Amino acid sequence: MKKYAYFPGCSLEKIALSYNQSTIESTQKVGIELEELEDWNCCGATAYFHVDELLAYTLCARNIAMAEKLNLDLVAPCSACFKNTYFTNKALKGDPDLADNINVALAEDDLHFSGSIEVRHLMEVFVEDVGFDQLKESVTHPLEGLRVAPYYGCQIVRPQKDHENVEEPQFFEGLMSAIGADPIPYALKMRCCGGSLLISSREAALNMIYNLLKNAVDSEAQVIATACPMCQINLECYQPQVNQEYGTNFHVPVVYFTQLIGLSMGLPMKAIGLGSELIAATPLAQYAT
Amino acid sequence: MSEKVGVYICHCGSNIAGVVDVEEVAKWAGENLDNVAVSRDYKFMCSSLGQELIEDDIKNEGLTRVVVAACSPHLHEKTFRRACSNGGLNPYLCQMTSIREQVSWVIEDKEAATEKAKAMISGAVRRVQLHEELQPTEVPVNPHTLIVGGGIAGIQAALELADAGYPVYLVEREPSIGGHMAQFDKTFPTLDCAACILTPKMSDVGNHPNITLMTYSEVEDISGFVGNFDVRIKKKARYVDEDTCTGCGICIEKCPKKIVDDVFEVGMGLRKAIYRPFPQAVPNFPVIDTENCTYFERGKCKACEIFCPTEAIDFEQQDTYVDVKAGNVILATGYDLFDVKRMPQYGHGRLANVFTSLEFERMCNASGPTEGKIVLRDGVTQPESVAIVHCVGSRDENYNTYCSSICCMGALKFGHLVMEKTGAEVYSCYIDMRTYHKGYEEFYNRLLEEGMHFIRGKVAEVTDAARIEEEEGKLIVQVEDTLLGIQRRVPVDMVILMAALEPRADAREVGLQFGIACSMEGWFTERHPKLDPVATMTDGIFIAGAAQGPKDIPATVAQGAAAAARVQGMVTIGTVKIEPVVATINEEKCSGCRICNTLCPFNAIEFKEEEQVSFINTALCKGCGTCVAACPAQAISGAHYSNGQILAELEGLLYDVVASNGSHAAQAEPEAVPA
Amino acid sequence: MARPSFSQEVGNLLYAAKGNPLNACIQCGTCSGTCPAAEFMDYTPRRLIGLILANKKEEVLASNTFWYCASCFYCTVRCPSDIDIAETMYALKRYSIWKHVHQEGLLGPTFSETFVKTILRSGRSFEPVMATSYLFSSGLKEWIQEAAMATGLMLKGRMPVLPPRIKRLDNFKRMIEKVIPLAGAS
Repeated sequence: MKKYAYFPGCSLEKIALSYNQSTIESTQKVGIELEELEDWNCCGATAYFHVDELLAYTLCARNIAMAEKLNLDLVAPCSACFKNTYFTNKALKGDPDLADNINVALAEDDLHFSGSIEVRHLMEVFVEDVGFDQLKESVTHPLEGLRVAPYYGCQIVRPQKDHENVEEPQFFEGLMSAIGADPIPYALKMRCCGGSLLISSREAALNMIYNLLKNAVDSEAQVIATACPMCQINLECYQPQVNQEYGTNFHVPVVYFTQLIGLSMGLPMKAIGLGSELIAATPLAQYAT
Repeated sequence: MSEKVGVYICHCGSNIAGVVDVEEVAKWAGENLDNVAVSRDYKFMCSSLGQELIEDDIKNEGLTRVVVAACSPHLHEKTFRRACSNGGLNPYLCQMTSIREQVSWVIEDKEAATEKAKAMISGAVRRVQLHEELQPTEVPVNPHTLIVGGGIAGIQAALELADAGYPVYLVEREPSIGGHMAQFDKTFPTLDCAACILTPKMSDVGNHPNITLMTYSEVEDISGFVGNFDVRIKKKARYVDEDTCTGCGICIEKCPKKIVDDVFEVGMGLRKAIYRPFPQAVPNFPVIDTENCTYFERGKCKACEIFCPTEAIDFEQQDTYVDVKAGNVILATGYDLFDVKRMPQYGHGRLANVFTSLEFERMCNASGPTEGKIVLRDGVTQPESVAIVHCVGSRDENYNTYCSSICCMGALKFGHLVMEKTGAEVYSCYIDMRTYHKGYEEFYNRLLEEGMHFIRGKVAEVTDAARIEEEEGKLIVQVEDTLLGIQRRVPVDMVILMAALEPRADAREVGLQFGIACSMEGWFTERHPKLDPVATMTDGIFIAGAAQGPKDIPATVAQGAAAAARVQGMVTIGTVKIEPVVATINEEKCSGCRICNTLCPFNAIEFKEEEQVSFINTALCKGCGTCVAACPAQAISGAHYSNGQILAELEGLLYDVVASNGSHAAQAEPEAVPA
Repeated sequence: MARPSFSQEVGNLLYAAKGNPLNACIQCGTCSGTCPAAEFMDYTPRRLIGLILANKKEEVLASNTFWYCASCFYCTVRCPSDIDIAETMYALKRYSIWKHVHQEGLLGPTFSETFVKTILRSGRSFEPVMATSYLFSSGLKEWIQEAAMATGLMLKGRMPVLPPRIKRLDNFKRMIEKVIPLAGAS
């Protein structure tokens, strides 16, 4: 059984509770133990870097330092949490002076950053550490015939971390194939959902959501799968607004990839948070146990 | 008897004198350095008057050694050695020290620069006194030339040499010569057909009595040195006997197996399992592709053998090896096209109607897969709008940082052909339009007049995700029109990607095999970027064409001819002087450890198995001194780089801390500690 | 010492950015062609870089461009000159907040500040508070849409009622004060 430190992030407490539920349930199914950081704080989202870089690093470093105490690699299911924490870890590892400064602050909470662990996205853990072969073995109810649009969004792949493919990755498709679903090709799978622009620049964000929904629906997706609460909320909750602005009639469910994994492993709908969508995930009903 | 050293300090206009106080340095050297008989500064030492200064001083003052403090010896060592020779002094008794590249160009502080110049001259003066008289050796030059690569560069070089009466071995990897040019349709800026100007040259090569053509062949091994290379060439089995085959082509006609031609037709067309790449191939003997031949796969068929009127098919044929001797080598191995799939944002392979530049060349070519018709991937629909994407893989830190230099003109040519043949609207998306050779800018103007649309901006992506009705079913080219400052989405039917030119995938291996260097990117490195563009740092190895860097046909042909001219000079003289600045091994001291064998960057050291000692081929040795420093038995001494000479130079450089007898000067001595 | 030019100041702000300085820009427009929000910006990202390099400080700070950046990082990964463009947008946001100079009516700066203050107070973010800055400055239509969505989420049990806080909040606040002495005052 593999064990990781778990940093759910603010959204997973309530607005993306289903992501948290399905993460815990589906990881257990494939033999992964997640130990939640006992007093984690917000990663700062994008706003922190808007206001102060050092502050942003400090916030993320606190969570990393708590994982270091557990001597476990840190897993984040939210792409924004992952990106901020990953790059903080990288920046501090590469700049001892910066790490020294931040350690002065961390000492106030009896914590210390030493650069001993890695930061991972939850999907990475499924793709790289569990692997498609083991995943397939755990599938009892393959999602055969389900046309899924795997939506990568931004921060799981960008900015580039090492030399991975940032234009045409295939790991999400591979994951969907492994649980028996049918990942559809569509052009905008890597495009931005609008992020926090929905609050600050609504017109631009709605346009971005519209483009994405149109492309996924034109490509005959029955359901959009995401790996980030922000993406899920923007794509799901703002469909009525998009329909109003653009005179469209989108009604496509948007679920977390962990919910699909859970479903394929025979977990009950309720246990993986299905039912809390604003747009009912009707196409999934036939796979439920 | 002590030596009489002459010291000459060059101003190099203001290059040196602007930073270094040359008069002060000259005065200082004359007064302070041992055995300096004459010390002068002069505006331009490399001028004939400067050289005469040295000659006169040798004659009148009886100089026995000369030091010139000026630019790098790369530039003018020969000049000053010749001046010494003219004055009656052995040229190797001259030493240059670089107070331009290593002092005035890199040090801003005038005082520090002047001090460093003094130290360097002090080093040179000490060193030169230990120089020995050396004599260059002379070796004969074999009149044969090996040319590797049968594209337009190799063809041009071969014909220049052969027409001048010199024998040539032309080795080509593919079954036919012709290279990339044979795949093209029209050539810019004059739009003459590539085949019309290329095929006469190809057939000249095939028929020339002075050219031994070896296609479907590769250089397996090369050893030796300038004037005297030994080359082993591997002739891959064609399974067709070249002596009996008449090239009638019946075998090709009768072969039942069709496969996609990924090489010549870049996947756009089919060929048979026995094939020649194109109708005008030289030589016209076909080749059997054993990976796809039914007989080689299943042991049955032999249709080609059955129908061959001259019994030329030979399924038992083996690879053969040919050993030849050559005096010089010209490498004209060309380029590879950038793999556009590395930029998935442009959709090649995913979006059917995105084409590479080479695919489009084949499409335009009358003997190509569509017989010259410009159509979409379905083979019938004419495009009504076409976008051409510049700089695909060029000028991009993620791929290649250099400009591929031919794509702007290629794009203009494509634009003309599309408009002429289909009347479609053509959009060229460029970063900067680079049309700087004879007749090129005029061609750009012509396309402006013909109505081609130009959008200044690098294409961000090509997508099929339509947002509005006009985009449905189209390819949408998303680009900022930087001159308007707005993002544009241009819906088109076809997209052509102007792919970068890249060094051959095996360029580094080939460079290593022939003992020449490659640039960071992998292009072969010329001896001097401006003044010696086709020679390399290895004597007798020349380069031509795109193997040296991206270039168009006119520049490639010019280089092919230039390399041939350089070789002709060598062959006409018939002998070559070998620089005597080489290392020698004292066989009695050599322990046979072979450490030096692998360290030598020029492959000049061999091991004599019988005597169990190493031996230096002086013709290959460049006198770099690596082996001298590495030899644990101190069995190797380098002429011009003896330990004594190097230590003397170091002592000279440290003149202000080391006393003239080599012991530490008083002020640097640590205080004696009382017992 | 000479006062640094605006372009030098922006360059200095890019402490953590990878890749080349802004001077390496060849104005090819890959960033602007790629940007999903470009059509809503008053200057495209490429023009903004041009303006920075030309030291057009007022024009840059008055533009909405960097507040319309959604942090998707597409420009950064595609830039052929290897400039971290998204990071440049962050740097400009910070600069603009420090200087209290930005375009009238932009929600981005207020939102960012409110968000940060929320977290500094509790250690966690809380959606209803985050939305306040927005609710007060947007139009009626948007307000109604937003309220409808909030109700929907509430019914599904996805809307938090009480603001969450971390346990060791005192330690957390002292930690923040070490980094930014004045931050605790908010």
